This record gives sequence, C-alpha cells and structure tokens, in this order.
Amino acid sequence: MSSEFKVGVLVLMAIVVLFYMSFRVGKYGTLTRSGYEVVVHLPDVAGLDIKSPVELAGVEIGAVHKLSLDEYRAKASLLIKDNVKIPTDSKLVIRSFGILGDKYLAIVPGQAKTFLKPGDEITNVVAVADYDQMFRNVQSAAENFSDVMGQFKGMIGDQEKSNLKESLQNIKVVSGEFKEMVTQNKTNVTRIVSNVAQASDKFGPLADKADAAFTGINSIVRGVEEGKGSLGLLVKDETLYNDARDTVASLKTISAEIEQGKGTLGKLVKDETLYTDAEATMKSIKEMTESMNKGQGTLGKLMKDDTLATEAEKTMKKVQRAADSVQEQVPITVLGTIFGILF
Amino acid sequence: MFEGFVKPLFKPVTYAASEFGRVFFMLMEVAYWTFRGPFKFNNLFKQMEFIGVKSLGIVIITGGFTGMVLALQTYYGFRRFSSEGLVGVTVALSVTRELGPVLTALMVTGRAGSAMAAELGSMRVTEQIDALTVMALSPVKYLIVPRVLASLFMVPILTIIADFVGIIGGYFVGVKLLGINEGIFVNKMVRYVDLDDIYNGLAKAAVFGVILGLISCYKGFYTKGGAEGVGKATTEAVVVSSVTILISDYLLTSLLF
Amino acid sequence: MDDTTIRIVDLYKSFNGQKVLDGINLDVKRGKITVIIGKSGGGKSVLMKHLIGLLKPDSGEIWIDGTEITKLNERELNQVRMKFGMLFQEAALFDSMNVFENVAFPLREHTRLQQKEIKRTVEEKLKAVGLLAFTEKLPSELSGGMKKRVGLARALALDPDIVLFDEPTSALDPVISLTIEDLIKETQTRFQKTYVVISHDIAGMFRIADTVAMLNNGKIVAAGSPYEIKRNGQEAVKEFLKATKIPGFAGGEL
Repeated sequence: MSSEFKVGVLVLMAIVVLFYMSFRVGKYGTLTRSGYEVVVHLPDVAGLDIKSPVELAGVEIGAVHKLSLDEYRAKASLLIKDNVKIPTDSKLVIRSFGILGDKYLAIVPGQAKTFLKPGDEITNVVAVADYDQMFRNVQSAAENFSDVMGQFKGMIGDQEKSNLKESLQNIKVVSGEFKEMVTQNKTNVTRIVSNVAQASDKFGPLADKADAAFTGINSIVRGVEEGKGSLGLLVKDETLYNDARDTVASLKTISAEIEQGKGTLGKLVKDETLYTDAEATMKSIKEMTESMNKGQGTLGKLMKDDTLATEAEKTMKKVQRAADSVQEQVPITVLGTIFGILF
Repeated sequence: MFEGFVKPLFKPVTYAASEFGRVFFMLMEVAYWTFRGPFKFNNLFKQMEFIGVKSLGIVIITGGFTGMVLALQTYYGFRRFSSEGLVGVTVALSVTRELGPVLTALMVTGRAGSAMAAELGSMRVTEQIDALTVMALSPVKYLIVPRVLASLFMVPILTIIADFVGIIGGYFVGVKLLGINEGIFVNKMVRYVDLDDIYNGLAKAAVFGVILGLISCYKGFYTKGGAEGVGKATTEAVVVSSVTILISDYLLTSLLF
Repeated sequence: MDDTTIRIVDLYKSFNGQKVLDGINLDVKRGKITVIIGKSGGGKSVLMKHLIGLLKPDSGEIWIDGTEITKLNERELNQVRMKFGMLFQEAALFDSMNVFENVAFPLREHTRLQQKEIKRTVEEKLKAVGLLAFTEKLPSELSGGMKKRVGLARALALDPDIVLFDEPTSALDPVISLTIEDLIKETQTRFQKTYVVISHDIAGMFRIADTVAMLNNGKIVAAGSPYEIKRNGQEAVKEFLKATKIPGFAGGEL
C-alpha cells in the first residue's frame, strides 16, 4: 500500500466523520442557518439564552438568535424555520421546562390570516409573573383554600349527607356549564385576568393581607353569602335544580359585571382610598367564614363518608379542567380554585 | 556591577527573541517555497503518512480515554445538581473546542515532532543537509516544506478523529456505563454544540500543526554538536513545541474565538 | 578560457573574532587534482564550504569559471553549484534511500531523463566505483569505504566540471584509504574533471596530487607540485612534513 492510499483513506475517513458531526450539530448552526427572523421585545429575558428554543404547540420551530438591549427592554431576535407561518396576532410567552428547567419561548398562534414577515415584531407578549411571584400566589391561594375547606368541613352535618351527595351531582353539571361559560367568554376572562394580574402586581406589597384575587371575587362572595339560605333549600329540594341554573346565570351576570367594572377596577388599582375598601372586603370574608363555622355542629360527621370524598374529588377535577382551559394565565388558577370552593 | 546583574537576566530574553525571529524567518521561507515549483508530492505524502496515518492509533486512544474520563468526572459533578444530562454537552464542547486540538497536537508533537527533529538533526550532523545545498536543492523546500505542510493538514484531520472518538467515549461512559438518559444526553449535545465549536477547534489544530512542524524542523535543522546535539534538539523540539502550542492555544482562544 | 577554473583572492573569514581564513590566495587548474593540505581544524573545511557557497566570506573574492560567487544570491549560486559535485567527509548519503536512489537523486531532481536513462547512468557511475552489486543496500548497511564510494558515484552523477572531496580518506583503514585514493585518481583520469581535495593525509595525497597547497594559520603558505612542496624551505611546511614521518618507514621521505 502506498503512502498516497493510506493518507487518502485517513483523509476520507476524517471528512466523513466531520460531515456526520456537522450534520448532527448543524440543525441550528451556521451552515444550515436558514429561516427568517422575527423580533420581540421582552421586559425580562433572565434565563433565556442564545439558542434557547422557540416552540409552537410544543414543537420546536426555531431558536433565539440574538439578545440585545433596546431602551431598557430586552430585544430578542428569533430565527424561525421557513416553513412555519406565524399569524400576526400571535402571542409570545416565556416558559420553562419544569420548575428548574431552562427557559424557552412559546408562541401561541392567533387567528389572523396574515402572517409575520421576516423582520416583523411580535407585539403581543404575555406578561407572566415570574416564579417567585407565582409561588407566592399559589401559596396564599392554597392557604385560603385549606381555610375554606376546613370551614366547609365543619359546615356539613348528618342530615345533609345524602342531600349533599345529590347536590354535588348537580354541581358537577353546573361546573360543566361553568366550563362552557369560561370557554365562551374566554377573551373576556383573559382580559379580566390580565386586569387582575395588573391589580395583583400593584397590590404586591399588600399581598399577605389581601390577595388581589379576592378583590375581584369580592362581589361574588357577597352574592353567595346572601344566597346562603337558598343553598340550604337547593340541597333539600330536587326541583330546585333549575334554581342552580339560575345561580349559574347570575354568576354569568356577576362576571359580566366584573367585566363592565373594568374601568372601576382600573381606578381601584390607582386609588389609594380603595385600599381601605379592600380591607373591608377582607373583613366581610372573615365574617362569612365565621358564620360558616357556626354550622359546625350540624354538619359534623358527614365528611367520614368515602363516597362523598370521591365525589368532591371528581368535582375538583372538573373545576381543574375548566381552569386548565385558561391555564396560560396563571392567576386564573386561583380564580378557578375559588370558584371550585363556591360550588 | 549593574551590567553584571542585568546581563544574565537579559540573556534568556534576547535568546528567546532571536530564536523566535529565526523561526519566523523559517516560516517565511517555508511559505515562499510552498508556492514555488517544481512540486513533488511524493515527499508530502510520505510525511503525511508518517505524521497522520502513523499517529492515528495514539490519537484514537488519547481522544477516546479523554472523552471517557471527562464523562466520568463531569458526571460526579453534575449529579449533585441532578443535571446529568449536561454531561454530553460538557464532553462534546470540551473535546471539540479544546482537548481535541490540544491533545492531538501534543501527541503528534511527542510522536512525530520528536522524530522530525531527530531525523533532520542527524541529517545536519552527517552533512546530508549540506549535500542537498551542494546539489543546488533548497533543503527548506526539500525537507521542511513537506513536513510543515503535512502537519498543517494532518493535525486537523487527526483532530476530527479525536473529537469524534472522544464524544463516542463520553457517550459510552455516560450512557452505557453511568446510565444517563440517552435522549437527553444526545439532544443536549446536539442543541448546544455549534458548528463553530468544531470548526474553531479545527482552525486551532491547523495552527498547532504549523507550530509543531515548524519548531520541530527548526530545532532539527539547526542542530549542532553531533549525536549529543541531536538528542538535545529532539528534547527541545518537543518542549518548545508543546509550550508554544499551549500558549498560543490560550492566545487564539481568547483573541479569536 | 584559461586553465584556471577556481581563483580565490584575498579571502578572509573569522568566527567569533577568531581568524580562520586570513587572506587566502589560490588558483585551481582545470582538469587537475589539487590537494589542499593542512592541520585538522586549520580552516580547510571552511575554505571548501566557501567554494560552494555554504559560507560567505567576510571579504575577498572567489571566481568560478569567471563568475564571482561571494555576492550571488541563493538562486544564482545554485546555477554555479550545478557545476560541482561533492564527496562529504561522512559521504552524507541520504539515510532514507538505497544506494541506487542516492546516486539517482541528483538526476531525478535536476534532469528530465527517463527512468531507463537514469538507470543506465547510475549503473555506469556505480560500476566506476565498483559497487554495481550493492544497488539495493541502504547506507546503514554499508561500510565507511563503501559509503565513500557511493558518495563519489553520487558526486559524479551529473558529470560536474568540479568535484570537491572533504577528507576522503579520514576514518578509513590504510588499505581502504589506498583504494579510495586510487579510485580518485582513476576516475579523474577517466573523466578529466577538476578535483579539489582537502586532507591532512600528506602521504596519501602526495601520490595522487597534481598540485598541492599548504594551508597554515589561515594562509596558503606554499603551492606547487608535490615535488616542489617537498623542496620548499619554509618552516611551517617542513614541520608539517616532518610530523608525518614515521620512524623506520620511508613515508616521510617522499
């Protein structure tokens, strides 16, 4: 074998290996760096990095290409695969793989028939509470939930055992309708939620005293409080199923009221004096739970029944699913939890 | 008194500077003769075989075990943060960017650089280099150009092999022995290793190739003092080449890449 | 053209302040064997390296066939070098090539001869030095004398006008030395080239020399036929000749 032959074999081998490695690695590398660029301005890109993936419906469609500072905001250039068309009204959310995982960008496609062109900007960036904030919210929500559950436990007595079962059945139906309602009014709810999110941001310092969510729920709670007597009737009387429907209808109006009260809510956020109102609301919630506590004696042993527990669990799942449909907006989970408690 | 104090300090500096100057001058000569015919590829291929093909085994062993031990070490580190999936990336990046080129260059220096210095050194002391000059042939063209070119071409080629074998070694230890999830191992690696990482490593390898070829040839070419001189030239070739490779590695990495 | 092929005029060279060549003047006649005799380390090799442009003098001129070579650049120098063949002290055969390839090497590098013609020329030269049977041997397998002979065949390969010999008989036993001396004389007689030999082996060289030049302390102290040198009355010459006398032998009496 001549030197030429041996050298030739070695060089060929190396070239093949190099091609293989380049091919494997080159998916978003320089050689195959194709695709178009879209720009997005983000308030905070901590945890994002160049080459962090961009996903649509969980499928990787591109990567962060450049990160730079643009007037106190982060400007990210995303390199999107050529064959992926993004509607112009799409939203962009920063997410992460798991709780400690790497951040990535998710695109929630819009409905528009026009698509982003190279160099266009995605303006609709969904502000997401960062993890610390989210954990705080979840924690307070969970505390509230356990409080209420404890009170609820005390509320249920022997007599209501079978009736409650039935009513839970009914609630299942009702919550199904609630789900429907939520999906129908999705955009409205989204708006409410973002308002609530803003509000919760503003109320951040007061978070331990008054969770922002409670402000929004305030009126609902009052309504339910008033209907407390009717709830007792509802439980006993089968025919009152229709009344439950009415309740749902009134819930609808309540949420509509919240929606209309958008302006007011905005003011509420800005108005210092309304802080005292929030405190008053908190007091009224306390009053309500105290009155619930009084029913403790009568509702005593009901909770020992297994079937009731499974029913409750199912119900919770329903509510959860309803909440899932608006999962993008983290605060709705809180809202959902509270709705769940109410039913 | 002052002079007596300063002189010994300056001597190594002036020596190093003039040595550098002579090596640089030789580089110029090599560049000049590289592009002047008549071209005889026989010698080039012989040197490529010597530097490339014959170093293949040692490079595979070095690359493979480097990747394996890297996987092992980083695994113990990353395991504390439950991020074993990053072992693949770490191995691949370390090997392609740094260890592949540097270790390959050092191994080739040890194996082929020393041999080149010894060969040229003995040619010098037995007047074979003078014989070429007397035959109106440029010893630089005839002896040094093929060696420098061969190491310029072959060190990157060997580096590709070392990179690949190193990653395979890391994969073997990480996935097969330590049980890291294969999908995560490979995907993280593929996502975070860039083509630039590989090609920058190869560019460095080419520079190292020139450095080791040039310095080894220089040391051999200007051997003085018989058989003892050949031994000295060989040692110096390896030491100076290795040190220069490591220094220029830092400079290249910090300035260029 | 006159019959002087190499003319050295006032050649000076010093290394680290030590004068090695201190004004050399010498003419070398065409088609003759000129032997430069001197003490070891007396500057003979330095002088020879100047002739072929391996060293540059501090001052002085060297004329080869009417060309002054000390001011030439490497490329022009290579033109002049094509006129030379040289046998080195240790023969300087290329270790990586066998005998045939060593002799063929200058032909391959400098001519466009076909393989057949190269083979014919190489065999002719190897036959002239009596080593035709050893074409496949590597230099490491040859004895010192055989290496010298291959070196001579290689030096003659391109039929150069001038052949330089650096200590052709050093490190050889007396019998082999004799055969090498005979070979030098024989090939010179056959090819009629100009031979320049440097040596400290007075006895051997006086047998083959047409002209002898004595180098002492960086100067040519005497030049002429061996007969003339022996009659030369200078102290340095006498002393050198005396040194080679071996008691009880006639060698010194030549």
